[in-house]
Amino acid sequence: MAGKIILQSNDNASIEIDRDVAERSLLIKNMLEDLGDIDEPIPIANVNEAVLRKVVEWCEHHRADPPASENDDTDARKRSTDIDEWDQKFMQVDQEMLFEIILAANYLDIKPLLDVGCKTVANMIKGKSPEEIRKTFNIQNDFTPEEEEQIRRENEWAEDR
Amino acid sequence: MMPRSRQRNSPGESTSSSSSSPERQLVDEEDPFLRIDDDSQTSIGELGGFRNMAVSSAKMEQPMGPISRLPPELLMAIFSKLSSPVDVRNCMLVSKHWAACSVELLWHRPYFTEFPRYQAMVGSLLQERPFFNYPTLIRRLNLNFIAGSVNDGSMSPLVRCNKLERLTLAGCTHLTDNPLKEILAANSRLQALDLSQMENITDESLLVVSETCPKLQGLNIVGCKLITDGSLIPLSQNRRMLRRLKLNDCNQLTDEAVFSFAENCPHLLEIDLHRCHQITDNAVNSLFNHLRQLREVRFAYCDLLTDDAFLRLPPNKTYESLRILDLTDCGLITDEAVDKIVKMAPRLRNLILAKCRQLTDRAVLSITKLGKTLHNLHLGHCNHITDRAVRALVQYCTRIRYIDLACCLRLTDASVSQLAMLPKLRRIGLVKCNNITDFAIQSLTRRANGGPCPLERVHLSYCMHLSVDGITDLVENCQRLTHLSLTGVEAFYRRNDFTRYCRLPPKEFNENQRAVFCVFSGVGVKQLRTYLKSLKAEAAGNNEQVGTPVLRPRTAPDLAPDGFIPPGMLPPASTLMMAMPPNPGTVLGDGGGGGGGGGAQEEWDESTGPQDEGASEGE
Repeated sequence: MAGKIILQSNDNASIEIDRDVAERSLLIKNMLEDLGDIDEPIPIANVNEAVLRKVVEWCEHHRADPPASENDDTDARKRSTDIDEWDQKFMQVDQEMLFEIILAANYLDIKPLLDVGCKTVANMIKGKSPEEIRKTFNIQNDFTPEEEEQIRRENEWAEDR
Repeated sequence: MMPRSRQRNSPGESTSSSSSSPERQLVDEEDPFLRIDDDSQTSIGELGGFRNMAVSSAKMEQPMGPISRLPPELLMAIFSKLSSPVDVRNCMLVSKHWAACSVELLWHRPYFTEFPRYQAMVGSLLQERPFFNYPTLIRRLNLNFIAGSVNDGSMSPLVRCNKLERLTLAGCTHLTDNPLKEILAANSRLQALDLSQMENITDESLLVVSETCPKLQGLNIVGCKLITDGSLIPLSQNRRMLRRLKLNDCNQLTDEAVFSFAENCPHLLEIDLHRCHQITDNAVNSLFNHLRQLREVRFAYCDLLTDDAFLRLPPNKTYESLRILDLTDCGLITDEAVDKIVKMAPRLRNLILAKCRQLTDRAVLSITKLGKTLHNLHLGHCNHITDRAVRALVQYCTRIRYIDLACCLRLTDASVSQLAMLPKLRRIGLVKCNNITDFAIQSLTRRANGGPCPLERVHLSYCMHLSVDGITDLVENCQRLTHLSLTGVEAFYRRNDFTRYCRLPPKEFNENQRAVFCVFSGVGVKQLRTYLKSLKAEAAGNNEQVGTPVLRPRTAPDLAPDGFIPPGMLPPASTLMMAMPPNPGTVLGDGGGGGGGGGAQEEWDESTGPQDEGASEGE
């Protein structure tokens, strides 16, 4: 029987979801295996309500996905930045939310979601110059011009595959 | 509440969990020989030692985008999704923190197709005060693409790299023991070493490996002809972790070395002794007596082997792990040995008995006991085999994906009709099966179950009776076809309008061989398909008028100027013989184990190479 689980975000919102949806998170899955059936809400200490709802939405949509096999680690798909259409739409959020989703996926141990998040960011990096990347993510260049030149020179050999 | 499998680090901490180390996310397209199952101990995250690592202080100074909240291992996970090293390099130039998180990914496995790039990298290795300690970041190095340019001088800076785990120097023929010994001596983490075709390498280098590489699991010294038992025996005694050994063409090797590997290396899974001519039955006995878990064993061209290699093994002892056995051109092997092999290795998936010329239908009947386990079978040049054997084979071994029956001269259309019933048959080799006609081709394409034709590679060279109609049928109905060889089929090789879609003959071919060469692959097959279709349509149109079928000689505008021979009219046998490669025995290649050059070997060797096996291994 697929029971219900209540998750509690760090801003004290309660979200009720099906157990099999919650178990997309290995963190929760392992915990439920350890604790058996519990009625109290499970506190998700590092995730706020907005992000948690978003993550739950992803888990609902992917509830029927086959479990990732061990082989997926070495799979060719691993490095490709192809993302399925629904996930692409799902990831159309501001950067604030995007990185919160990635952090939550990592914390909750939802590998496929983490993967989609990383691919999304990788796609934002692809083909950009260092300056464009800095602009995209609002990153300060803390190299001196000499240091930057040195790194450029020392890594010039890298060629495209 | 802490996750059990992954710790979340706060931003700025420079530890990284091994679960996100970039190298596990790299796609491994290297030689599967170098594949290491589960034991890659590579770890990323020795960042602490770098100078200029003012990561956390830099963070405090200015407000940054939300990406700055990611801990290093997540940033690394993102970078690992970048397939282009140029993108990774651009990330290095973004900030110090990003540089620290991407440098290992860039250097973990440097990749070169051009020698000047390699030289530039070596230049960075030699820097007085480099930004990062680059030499220690390289874990895998493959110089195969620039092998021809590497010499002792350009190689010696690599001695600074002391954390190599996989080193591939295949084909670096100019290299000698001197820089190699130093490099090997500095690399105690080495797990896989490929020195294939390095003809100048001697026992001295391997003795260093024997002394310094306790983790070594894979060794490939194919074609290192100077290597002797003198280094292999100590190596086997010291390197007990060895799992994969490729010793092809090391023809100084004797039974003694094999005994020593068998006795000392209990983890050995794969051994290739292709063309180690001195190997005898005793070596085979020793391997099987000591090693129950062998997975892949190749004795191709070990021509001293007799039935005793297998018959002397104890009865009732089975080898459940054995998947691949290659006995190409072990000409003394008879039906009796094959029967024993099938009994002792009931899960054989890939059995190569090409040129075991004494085999008869009895051997094939034994092979049928492998049933559905058998995927690949090579019986080329086993010319006693008849249609009866093929019928039995198809009846029991229904999962055959690849079969080669080249030069099985007794086979007729009946065999091909049977083979057509194999639902998973992707590759079929019928080179020189001279009785085959268009009828056989037709049965191949009309599947009994009406499904799409699964054939991908079809070898029909020297099947003299095939006509344009038959081949048209084949390419039209087999949409998955990617390779079609029709060398020596005069309905094809004599017509420029067909051969323009062929690939080029291998360089080593002489004029006669070039003249008859006719192999279509990849896009060539597609072009041929389109062209044949247009011819057919044209012919259909013409037939409505009064009879000038386009296939009749000298009516089509683009025929070869020099005497096109009408289908059905064979040239005198003597001209055909001249046209064939000088040694007919080599038409089919060398059994695929050695992965030798192209040439006539194309006829089949691509299909049983280790790569191929790797692909099906996962099932």
